[in-house]
Amino acid sequence: MDSKIKFTVTLALLLPVLAGAQAKVKEVVTSDYNRNSISFIAVQRGDVYDSDVLAAVKAYNPGEKFDLNKIATETIQVSRSRAVSSQSPTYNYIIPTDVISSAVREKSLDKEILTYIFGRDSQGFMNDKLIRYRGNYDAKDQDVINARASRVGIEALGDAGHGLVSHSYVVVVDPYSLQKKVDDKGKVTWSASTKAYAYKLGLSAEQLNEFYDKCWIYEEDDDATKTAKRQAFIDFPPLMEQAAVVSASGSSSDPKKAIYNSLSDIVTHLENQLSDWEVAVTIAAKKPLRAKIGTKEGLRNGARYRAYSYREDEAGNLISVPRGYLRATEISDNSGMASGETEPSKFYQISGMANIEEGWTIKQSNDLKFGVMAGVKFGGICPGASLAIDMDLLMNVNTNGTMSYVLLGGAFDLKTASGVSAVNFGIGYGYAFHLSRFIELMPYISLINDYVGPVSSGTSSTASFMSKSALALEPGFRASVNVAYPLQLFGKVCFDWLTPLRGNTYELWNNSANHGSRLGFQAGVKWTF
Amino acid sequence: MKKVLFIAFTLLMTASAVSVSAQNKDRRKSFNSWDNYEITTEKVGVDGTKFVKVWGYGRTVDKAVMAAKENAVHACIFRGLPGNASAMSTPPICPNPDTLVSHEDYFQNFFAAGGPYLAYVNMTTDGVPSGTDCRKVKGGYKVAIYVQVMYDNLKHKLEADGIARKLSSGF
Repeated sequence: MDSKIKFTVTLALLLPVLAGAQAKVKEVVTSDYNRNSISFIAVQRGDVYDSDVLAAVKAYNPGEKFDLNKIATETIQVSRSRAVSSQSPTYNYIIPTDVISSAVREKSLDKEILTYIFGRDSQGFMNDKLIRYRGNYDAKDQDVINARASRVGIEALGDAGHGLVSHSYVVVVDPYSLQKKVDDKGKVTWSASTKAYAYKLGLSAEQLNEFYDKCWIYEEDDDATKTAKRQAFIDFPPLMEQAAVVSASGSSSDPKKAIYNSLSDIVTHLENQLSDWEVAVTIAAKKPLRAKIGTKEGLRNGARYRAYSYREDEAGNLISVPRGYLRATEISDNSGMASGETEPSKFYQISGMANIEEGWTIKQSNDLKFGVMAGVKFGGICPGASLAIDMDLLMNVNTNGTMSYVLLGGAFDLKTASGVSAVNFGIGYGYAFHLSRFIELMPYISLINDYVGPVSSGTSSTASFMSKSALALEPGFRASVNVAYPLQLFGKVCFDWLTPLRGNTYELWNNSANHGSRLGFQAGVKWTF
Repeated sequence: MKKVLFIAFTLLMTASAVSVSAQNKDRRKSFNSWDNYEITTEKVGVDGTKFVKVWGYGRTVDKAVMAAKENAVHACIFRGLPGNASAMSTPPICPNPDTLVSHEDYFQNFFAAGGPYLAYVNMTTDGVPSGTDCRKVKGGYKVAIYVQVMYDNLKHKLEADGIARKLSSGF
């Protein structure tokens, strides 16, 4: 019993200490973002797709956000079949990460990156031209203002490039599944599933200084020193560290394009995994919200960012407090060197109880800009209740809070006779207004295909399906309310007009379903992904 | 056993309350104390200036910025500036710790709201204090700003007003 009491008392006394320790390890989001450099390498499996994979990887440009390290190695040979096994018809064998990692180590990619960055020639001489260029290009307005106020002046801005060496990445790309599909009409679709293995040049400031001391050859060095420094470069310890593994997929009518399309998703997925890649900056002004990022950081309309403010707790620990989301609206072209007066991009706040303030940090928080809604619809084409699943894809956001959506939707009639199936699905366009960030009002119009027929055996042809279908138009109005972003409640009112464009047997089957033109109401929940 | 647990719980609560109360008192003290600020030399400033990053407390961000400006000038006069990897430390203009007390009226006027000290300090922060340089703390804000202090001009002013000793006065 005594031991139990002791344990309880000890635990009670330790709890505040443990809680304090927990608070301290919580990561603080900061606005320290610096440019990253990147090299793409294709895995060659020794099969017929190798040339397509290499062509797609060579053609891929990750955009202005990254500097490219043009290293000599473009491929890594890993002779593993894409077939899962010799008996299996499935071609999606994923190479284990350790196999890729050992191939990366064998290639000495770290030395290749350093050779490129420092322009190392065959004699082992290096220069800092690229380093200084990148340092200047990465400089922010505050850096420029600071440089002007200091004796070293803006000439010293390039020095910051030394800190960017450790922001070098290699992404090894392996489309492990590349499949061709031909539909009934002979249309060919290639789909690629690609695995990407990201490695970072793990070079600390101390190691970089050691590198300069041991490997940097000066003209005045004697021959023995030069030889020793060349050898020191070769002997410099391996620096590539595995940073993340992600996968993505893409499709196209062309295999190269399918791989290429999967690569763009890979960069997005890596951004979600690698904190270095997530752009962070502070709000420079409000009404409208503005921040000094733009094309240079790969910013696009609709890109989602999350805002943070800072506070200190009682113990003086710094805590970043999430304060809501915002989306980029007008993107400034900030390519080129910072001048101290960079034109900011504009944003619109989409969530959060507090208004985002000047000075708060905003950090990239990628999403699919894709909302899924589930609800019940009363009326409309169907006379009674129907189960409705809708989706909307955000196409454009304006600084005044107006947004364009492409809409997709489907509804299943819950009151049909036995053996009869009644479903409708549509595509539409909506233009939303925001009374505030909490309330979105959206007039929209959709074109709906309404099907009424027998419960499908799954073998009916397109012609048979169309004969039991009718076209309808649905003008309507949707109102959404932010509950706890990304969760929203929504309500819709619409008028479904069943057009005279109806299949031959639609009317016959519709006698029991009684679909027609009428007013409809819908309510449900929306989640944005 | 219940008694032991009750006593342990009471002790724990009392200890926590005492600790929080002490922390609050400490915080209030540090909030009101002029000596409680951090200052770091950023780089060697252009001729005749010092380029520093300085923190200030205030009920609002604007008041905290003003406090930081005062702190920058205060550091140059009374505390001196720390060095860093690229800049030597700077001694205070008035190294005598009694200067503030002996010229109280002068400094009351010098550091008054909108007072003469503002002529010797330029804020070089891009916009408002931002990111981790602007923190909500109990009772207000703690902000850091980049500041260029017109050090030579400040020194000449204090020498001309008879507050600081001229270098030549010792000879």
